[in-house]
Amino acid sequence: MAEQAQRRAPQGQSQQDPPNENDNHAFEELRHLIIAPEQEELADIRERLDDAGRRTQDMSSVVAEAIQLRREQGDDRALSDALAPTIEETLRDSVRKHPHVLADALFPVMGPAIRKSITETLRSMLESFNEALEHSLSWRGIKWRIEAIRTGRSFTEIALLHSLVYRVEQVFLIHRETGLVLNHLTAPSVAAQDPTMVAGLLTAIQQYAQDGFKTQRDETLDNLGWGEFKMWVEIGPHAVIAAVFRGHAPEDYRVHMREVLEGIEQHYAAAFDNFKGDTDPFRGAEERLTPLLEERAREAVEPGKRKPRMLITVSAIILALIVGWGVYLSYRVHQWTQFEQALRQQSGIVVTSVVKEGGRYHVRGFRDPLAPDPKALLTKLGLTPENADFQLAPFYSMDDGILQRRIKVLLKPPPGVTLSMKDGVLVAEGAASPRWIAGLRDRATWVAGVRELDDSKLQDANALALKDAKSSVESIVFLFPFGAATLEPGQDQKVALAQKNIREIVAQAVALNENVQIEVVGHTDNTGVEATNLPLSKQRADHITKALILAGVKPSSFRPRGVGTTRPLRTDDTDEGRQLNRSVTFQVDISPVAP
Amino acid sequence: MITQKICMLGSFSVGKTSLVRRFVERIFFDKYHTTIGVKVDKKTVPVNNTPVELALWDIYGEDDYQKVKMMYLRGMHGYLLVVDGTRRQTLDVALALNDKVTQTIRDVPFVLLLNKCDLADQWEIEPDTDKTYAAKGWQVLRTSAKTGENVDEAFSQLSLAMLAKMNSTSSPGESRST
Repeated sequence: MAEQAQRRAPQGQSQQDPPNENDNHAFEELRHLIIAPEQEELADIRERLDDAGRRTQDMSSVVAEAIQLRREQGDDRALSDALAPTIEETLRDSVRKHPHVLADALFPVMGPAIRKSITETLRSMLESFNEALEHSLSWRGIKWRIEAIRTGRSFTEIALLHSLVYRVEQVFLIHRETGLVLNHLTAPSVAAQDPTMVAGLLTAIQQYAQDGFKTQRDETLDNLGWGEFKMWVEIGPHAVIAAVFRGHAPEDYRVHMREVLEGIEQHYAAAFDNFKGDTDPFRGAEERLTPLLEERAREAVEPGKRKPRMLITVSAIILALIVGWGVYLSYRVHQWTQFEQALRQQSGIVVTSVVKEGGRYHVRGFRDPLAPDPKALLTKLGLTPENADFQLAPFYSMDDGILQRRIKVLLKPPPGVTLSMKDGVLVAEGAASPRWIAGLRDRATWVAGVRELDDSKLQDANALALKDAKSSVESIVFLFPFGAATLEPGQDQKVALAQKNIREIVAQAVALNENVQIEVVGHTDNTGVEATNLPLSKQRADHITKALILAGVKPSSFRPRGVGTTRPLRTDDTDEGRQLNRSVTFQVDISPVAP
Repeated sequence: MITQKICMLGSFSVGKTSLVRRFVERIFFDKYHTTIGVKVDKKTVPVNNTPVELALWDIYGEDDYQKVKMMYLRGMHGYLLVVDGTRRQTLDVALALNDKVTQTIRDVPFVLLLNKCDLADQWEIEPDTDKTYAAKGWQVLRTSAKTGENVDEAFSQLSLAMLAKMNSTSSPGESRST
C-alpha cells in the first residue's frame, strides 16, 4: 500500500495540482492510504460496541465458556450469588406461566422423594403408634390415664412415675479404705469399664467430697449420674457397694443394697480386719452380690424384648381388624345377595339389573304400585337403605298375589264374599247386596288381569236372608194342652223368635219387592170328634195370630186357619205324636208384587 | 488376686504421670499435662511369680506439700516419691512430703525416684543424692520416663517391698488420726 502511495504521489503532483495544494492533496491521500484500514476497523469495532444486537451475538458465543471458566477458577460464590436472583425469578415465572413444564421435569424425582417422605412419616407414625399403644391399650395404661385425670397431672408424668424401668449393669464391692475392688459383677452383654479404675476414682471422689465439703465420715456421696447412667453407692464400715444402672431404680433397691452390704460386712468381718490387698477371700461375696444384678435385671424391662411383644400385639390387632372387616364385608355381601334373591322373587317387582358403583347398589326394573317397598325389605334384612338406589318404573303385575290384592283394593268385597282368580276368570262366591253385585258385574273386567267374571256362586244376600227367615219361622211349633186354645207354659221365647223372624221376612220382602202371606195353621190330635176339633184348631190359630199382632206385626200378613186333624204333624199313635199334633205352625208364602 | 494401692507423690511437674504412662502404656509424651485431682490406672505385674494388680493413684502435684490431700493416701500400700533432678526445690518438697506421710501413715514402703536422669547434665541436685539417701536405708533409683530407664525397676522394687510388707504380720496402711 505504501509503495502504491509512493507511485501515485509523483504522478499527481506533476500533472494537476499547484505545488502546495498538490502536496496537501498528496498528503491527504497518503494519510488516507495509510490509516484508512485502521479507521475502518475502528469504525467497525465502534459499531459492534454500539450495536446491542451484535454485542449479544458476540457474547452468546463465549458466555458458556466464560461461566465454565469462572466456576473452574475456584470456590467463588459470586457467580452463584449473581445468578441466583435471576434463576429464582425465572423459575417463579416458569411455574406461574407453564406449571406443567417444571412438573414434567421434576416428575422423575418427585415420586421417589414423596415415597421416601411418606415412608419416613409412616415409620415415625408407627413408632408413635407403638408408643401410644404400649401405654394406651394396656390395662396399666388405662389406669394411668384415669389417675392422670383424677390428679390433674399429665399422662407422661404419671407414666414416668410408675415406669421405674431400670437395669443394673454393674455391681462393685470396694474396699472402703484403699478403694480396691474386692468383687465386681457385670450383667450379660455389658461393656464394662475397668473396675479397678472405676473403684479408685469413686473412692477418690468420695474422699474429695468428704474433704472438700468437710463432711462427717458417715456423710457420703451416695449417688452419681452421667448421661443415661446412674451409680448408687452404699457405704459400710469396711466396704462400699456401688451399682451402676440405666433408667429409674426404685428406692427399695437401695434398701436391698444396704441389706446385701450389711450381710457382707458381717460375714467378712475377719477378712476385712486382715485385708492386706488379697481379694481372694471376697470371691464368695459374688453369691450375695448376684441378686443385686440378677434379681433387678429380671424386673428390668428390656426394650428389645418388649418391642416384639408389642409388635405381635399390634399385628394381632391389625390382623383381627382386617379379618373382622373381611367378615363384615362378606356378611354385607351375603346380606345383599339374600336381599337381591328376595327382591327377584317378590311378586310385583321385576329386577332387570343390579350394578354396584361407588359403594352403592343401583337396582333397575319395574314395580307394581301394590308391591311392597324394596327399602322396607332392605331394612328388614339389616341393610342400610342409603346404600341402595332404586330406579323402578311402575307397571301392572299379573302375578296372582298382586292381582288378588288389586281386586281387593278396587272391588272392595264385603264380608261373606270370596273372590279368586283362575285363568283370568274372577270367581265370586258367597252372598252380597244386590248393589254390590251390580257394581261387581260392572267393574270386574275393568281390573287389569281380569278377563271374565264368574258370579254363578254369588247369591243375593237379601233373598238368602228371606229364605233363612222363612225356614226358621216354618220350623216353629207352638204346643197346646189337651182340649185348650191357650199355649203350654214356657213358650214365650218361641213367640219372640217368631216375631223376630216374621219382621225379617216382611222387611226383606219389601226390599225384594215381594208379597208375604203367613198362614197360621191350628192343629188338634185325633182325640174327640172333628166337629169340636176343627173349631179348637181355629181358636188355637187365632190365639197365636193375636199374640203376634199384639207384638206389632202387620195383621194383613196373617191368615189364621184351623185344620183339625186333617194335617197332623205326626201320627197320633203315641203321646208324643198327639202332643205335637196339638199345635200351631206357620206356612209362609212369598210371591212377587203384581205389576 | 493380690491388689495393691500405689500413690505417686511429688512436686508439680516432676513426671509422675509420665512415669505411670511409661509403666502402663509404654509411651511417653513430651507435652506436659497437669493432673487435676486424681487419675487412677492399673497394671498387673508378676511379683515372685504371683500376679499382683497395682492400682496406681496419680495424685496431682503441689509445690506446697502442705496442700497435698492426705485423704487420697488412705489405705495405700506403697508410694513412689518422685523428684525432678533438674529442680532442686522438688527434692525439698519430696522430703517434706515424705515426712508428712510417715507422720500420718506408718511403715509404708516407698521408693525415691530421681527422675529425668536423661537430663543429668542439667541436674540441680547433688550428683550423690542417691547415695546419700540410700545410705539412710531408702530405696533410691534414677529414672527417666522419657527413656524408660529404671521405670519398671522402680515399680518392681516397690511391689516386692509391698508384698514383703503384706506377708509380715503388721496391717498395711494403718491410719493414724489426722
